[in-house]
Amino acid sequence: MAIDTRSSTPAGGADGQRGEDDGAGRAPPERAPLTDAGTADTGDRLMSGTVAPIGNPSENDLRFEAEALPWIDDVYRFALSLTRDASDADDVVQETYLRAYRSWHTFEPGSDARRWLFTITRNVFLRARERERRLVDLDDGDVEALNTFAAHSQMVRDGTDQILSRIDLGPALQRALDDLDEPFKSAVLLVDLEDQSYEAAAEILGVPIGTVRSRLFRGRRILQDKLLTYARDAGFTTARRDQRGNTND
Amino acid sequence: MTDCPRDIDCRTAVQKLWDYLDQELTPERMAEVQSHLDRCAECLPHHDYAHTFLAALSEARERDVRAPDLLRRRVMERLRAAGFSA
Repeated sequence: MAIDTRSSTPAGGADGQRGEDDGAGRAPPERAPLTDAGTADTGDRLMSGTVAPIGNPSENDLRFEAEALPWIDDVYRFALSLTRDASDADDVVQETYLRAYRSWHTFEPGSDARRWLFTITRNVFLRARERERRLVDLDDGDVEALNTFAAHSQMVRDGTDQILSRIDLGPALQRALDDLDEPFKSAVLLVDLEDQSYEAAAEILGVPIGTVRSRLFRGRRILQDKLLTYARDAGFTTARRDQRGNTND
Repeated sequence: MTDCPRDIDCRTAVQKLWDYLDQELTPERMAEVQSHLDRCAECLPHHDYAHTFLAALSEARERDVRAPDLLRRRVMERLRAAGFSA
C-alpha cells in the first residue's frame, strides 16, 4: 500500500490538538518502547549499528519517547485491524509515527497520546487507501438501536437467536469484523475493542458524537447479521417455534 | 420531587439500550433504563442478548498483538532520519 509521505499533518487537516484530558486517557504502558523482549534498552542501543546516535536529545524528543512510542503495540493492533494486512499495517504504523513526531509540538502535554495516535493512524489509513471520507446517510442512533432489537425480537420469535449460542463466537466475530466495511468498522474497533468513549471516538474520527453512535450501532447490527449468516453456512439449523411454543425444525 | 427514576416506555428503553450498556447516559437516564429493565420481561432479553454480544466482541480484540521487532526498527530509523534524537 502506497503511503503519501508528503503531509505531516497528523489528523488529516485537524491539528490533532486535544482539549484537557477527560479522564479517559491512559498512562502509557510500562514496558519500554521499541525494545526487544521487553528490555529497558533505549532506541539508541537497539539501533546500534543501524542508525547513528545523535547528540543530547531535546526535551521534546524525550517526551515523545516517553509518551508516544510506548503505544506502538496499540497503534500496530489498530492498524492491523483496519488494514488486515501485516505489510500494510507496517506502512501505516511507520507513517503514523513519522507524522506524530513532526507534529509533536501540537500535542498538548497531559492529553491522551493514545487517542491522538489513533487519530493519525486512521487518517494515514484512509489516505493510503485513497479513500475519501464517505459521508454515509444513516438513520440516527435511536433508529439503529430500534432496528437492532426489532431484529432480535424476530430472532426470538423464529428461534434463530439460539443459533448464536451454538457457534464459537470469537472466531466468527473476528471474521465478521474483517469483513465489516468502513465507516462502521472504525467505530466498532474504537469503541468495542479499544474501549474508547463515544466522545473520544468522535474526536479520533473527526465526526460528531451522533455520527459515531449511528455508525457504531449500524456496525453492531451488521456484525450480528453476519454471525447469523456464518452460523447458517456452518450448518446450524433453527429450532423454529410455532405460536404454541412447539418446535418443528 | 422524587428520587425515583421516571418511568420510560419500552421504545425509549430500547432506543437507549446500547448507550446504557456503553455507560454513555447521564446518571438519571441510566437509572431510568435500569428501572425499566428491572420490571420489563420484554426488554430484559434484549439487554442480555446485547450484553452477551458486546462481551464476545470485546474478547475478539487481539490482545497479544505486538508490533514486530523489524517494524520497531523501521519506525526508529524513520524517526532518526526526521531528527529524533532520544
